[in-house]
Amino acid sequence: MAAAKNDILQGTLTLLVLKTLASNKRLHGYAITTHVQRVSGDLLRVEEGSLYPALHRMEQQGWLKAEWGVTEKNREARFYSVTAKGRRQLAVEEDSWARFTEGVGRVLRYV
Amino acid sequence: MPWLRRFVNTIRSSRLQRDIDREIAFHISEREEELRANGLTADEARRRARLQFGNAAVQRERTRDVDTAALVDALLRNVRLALRGMRRAPGFSAAVVLTLALGIGANSAVFSAIDAVLLRPLPFPDSDRLVQLTQTQPAAGETHVAPIRLRDWNRLNSTFEGIAGYFTSDVVDTSGGLPERVLTLRVTHGFFDVLGVRPAIGRTFTAEEHLYAYKGPEAVIVSDRRWRSLSSDRQVLDQPMRLGNASIATIGVMPSSFRFPAADVGVWTADEDDAPWGQLRTQTWYTGIGRLKPGVTIEQARADLERVQASLATQYPDTDRQIGVRLVPLKETVVGGTRPSLWILFGAVSLLLLIACTNIAALLLSRATRREQDIIVRYSLGGSRASVAAQLLTEAGVLAFIGAAVGLAVAVVATRALRLLAPELPRVGEIAIDVRILLYTMACTVVVAIVCGLFPALRSTHRMGVTPASTRTTTSARQSLQWLLVSVQIALSVTLLAGAGLLIRSIDAMSRADTGFDAERVLTLRVSGQYGFETNDATVQRINRLLDGLATYPDIESAAVTSRLPGIREQQEQEFVLADVAAGPSARVVAANVIVTPDYFRTLRIPLLTGDVCRRSPDAGGVQTATTETMVNRRFVERFLGGRSALGVHVTGGLDTLVKNRHVFAAAPSRIVGVVGDAREDGQDREPVPTVYTCFSAPHPAPWYVIRTARHPAAAAASVRRAINALEPSRSVYDSAPLESRIDGAYAHNRLRTWLLSLFAMTALGLVCAGVYGTLSYTVSLRRREVALRLALGALRRTVVQQLIATSLRIVCLAAACGLVLALLFTRSLSTMLYGVTPTDPPTLAGVIVLVVLVAGLAAVIPATRAAFIQPMRALREE
Repeated sequence: MAAAKNDILQGTLTLLVLKTLASNKRLHGYAITTHVQRVSGDLLRVEEGSLYPALHRMEQQGWLKAEWGVTEKNREARFYSVTAKGRRQLAVEEDSWARFTEGVGRVLRYV
Repeated sequence: MPWLRRFVNTIRSSRLQRDIDREIAFHISEREEELRANGLTADEARRRARLQFGNAAVQRERTRDVDTAALVDALLRNVRLALRGMRRAPGFSAAVVLTLALGIGANSAVFSAIDAVLLRPLPFPDSDRLVQLTQTQPAAGETHVAPIRLRDWNRLNSTFEGIAGYFTSDVVDTSGGLPERVLTLRVTHGFFDVLGVRPAIGRTFTAEEHLYAYKGPEAVIVSDRRWRSLSSDRQVLDQPMRLGNASIATIGVMPSSFRFPAADVGVWTADEDDAPWGQLRTQTWYTGIGRLKPGVTIEQARADLERVQASLATQYPDTDRQIGVRLVPLKETVVGGTRPSLWILFGAVSLLLLIACTNIAALLLSRATRREQDIIVRYSLGGSRASVAAQLLTEAGVLAFIGAAVGLAVAVVATRALRLLAPELPRVGEIAIDVRILLYTMACTVVVAIVCGLFPALRSTHRMGVTPASTRTTTSARQSLQWLLVSVQIALSVTLLAGAGLLIRSIDAMSRADTGFDAERVLTLRVSGQYGFETNDATVQRINRLLDGLATYPDIESAAVTSRLPGIREQQEQEFVLADVAAGPSARVVAANVIVTPDYFRTLRIPLLTGDVCRRSPDAGGVQTATTETMVNRRFVERFLGGRSALGVHVTGGLDTLVKNRHVFAAAPSRIVGVVGDAREDGQDREPVPTVYTCFSAPHPAPWYVIRTARHPAAAAASVRRAINALEPSRSVYDSAPLESRIDGAYAHNRLRTWLLSLFAMTALGLVCAGVYGTLSYTVSLRRREVALRLALGALRRTVVQQLIATSLRIVCLAAACGLVLALLFTRSLSTMLYGVTPTDPPTLAGVIVLVVLVAGLAAVIPATRAAFIQPMRALREE
């Protein structure tokens, strides 16, 4: 891979997917990857393979809803959208992420 | 409900797989297109897209795992594996399934009988509150209850909702062309309320209809079966039926499920319990039946009735002082007698099933060896012990499940066979395979799967590494486990065989026992008659006339009347009083009482020992005036007369039951005129008891006729019936059967029990054969190299074979010895069913041991001999 190893931290994938879907109506898996990459200015890169087990797990937990649909290029794809439960989960994850970075920041500032 | 979705996904796994494949393929092709748009060649774009995605196969699987219930998925996979394994070894699988089907099927069938007969309540509402009531008397044992006393009990108790009584009687229905005897139940007021049943059509008797003074039309309630045989429409309610000499209105039809106290009751009629003849406290003919108040225990009810009876005793000391009460749960009186047999059979089929399971466990164990390589590979690829064990358990589970499914079919057939073979079994019509039996079978299957699968699963999944050395040690450990399983089979089948052997010896001893009478060519039948329709003298004359008429027929050698059938159990002992004998007052004379006509002894070929055969009682006024004559058996003389001559001694009591019941007002002492040989009147399996034969022609309006025929009695039956019809055109002949088949029938359940147990025992022996054969074959296959080496070094083939057989026999003998101990525990529970042998009968037990050792030894010969034909060079080159 030519790109720098900016693999997403374990556990933050859920947060990114939820946030991405919360600000977009419905996206398929590939679009989620490109969205995260684009919005983060290529700083973050979703490990593509592990995206699908994560998406399906979130679907099982009721945070996401999935249905088959057609892309603008008229191809069949599975589209995901966030549910009400997923939005609540997003709030929780955002909160814990904020506290996490805050904590890490404090430790780094201390020295 | 995510678990539900996951479960559905698991079941429809191929569709899920397709969806995931499509989703991931879409992703990769989108990436590929983007890369191509950036100027890469098609090939390069495809390569990069794939690379960037990572290991698609792993991700597909991980995604799939998220979407499915892992346990169910693993189970389905294991089931598929197991089914594939079964297809690969069809012979083995068929043998296992068949063994289990027979084991589980037999078990479920016997359990269905236990469930229907013993466990389920009787078909009455709150039937656990129903009890049978009888009165006891020290001299006469248990008797019926006096109508007036039953009414007192009903009136004075505080623990019963109600007490009613009934007795059976015969009436002749003359509505049709031929006179037909109908079994009638005469019941007291409240009988149907106590049982809690209502007629399907019509009503029950009113209180007025139970009154002696009632002058309205007489009424009957008919059984469903009788109603259907007449005319199954509601019109029956208005049609009068001619019973005896009276025209009687049918007021109700009982539901078909109501068969109390017997299935052959045709009509129920209202007994007038205030009738003048029912007012003596010494006259007894009712069987009582009571319904306890809710929450009352039978002990409380017993205490209550004993208190009532004690107060009656002070009120009527002459008649009630010695009377006691006896309460038995109604269900106990119906099915109590079958309980030991059924539980013994259930124990036997359960042992059989256990043997079958052990056998299959041993088979699976030896099969697991062939899969050792397979299992080692799975371990080295990271498979967990649990997953491998689960697979082996699933295999046993699948086999057990298929076995149980086939077993249910076996059970359906078996219960049908049981209904045919044991029609005398109470409640036999209620036996059926229903949901309860299905649940039981399922529980059975789970136990079977665990017993069969657990040993192989635990044993062959020991983490064994891959070195051949360690493989060898676990193999020998497993081999000893296998022999242990075979030993269990041997021990259990010794137990079963011992039980079957003892029962067979009992039947044998019984058939050899000298009954003291000759039942061959004796026809038995009854001719209808009913109390209250003629004077006692008229009954005597009628019966004497019929006997005289029958004596002239060429087909008939002799004919007699008796109060009870010989050779069939019917306890009827009572107290007699001997006159002229200075016996001590403590020596009560209790003997069986049989009322017969003089030709009884000739007809049954009971030998006269001393004196003469009694003469027939006079035609008229026999009981009041003349002295009747009496015979006694040898045992009576030995027991009560201490070797003195019995001739001329006077005995009182022979006609007491007649005096107690109706129409015979007093009986004078009768004189003993002769002594006959001891006959087993009470059954082949019972020692003859002291017996008094009172010579009187009318023990009952419809007594038993015993007729010695010139031809086979079944062949003569029709002509005898015609003869009786000619002599007594208005009476019906019924219950006609050869005495031999009647006695056979009385012991039919005895034989059935024995044959079933023998069948189970022989099946067990067959399984043991298969077990020894299979396990020794396996041993030989394991020791192939060793044997080959020994042969190559010059060992004699004969020695090799002998050693193998000796090893097996040592184990067999040891197991048989253990089985002997088990057998001693098991056969003790049979003791009440044995005749002429003790539960520890040495010849039987020794015979069983010899049989088992012999059969197991023979089963060992073939695999042992096969070892002798191992080609040393080839066997040694194999590895």
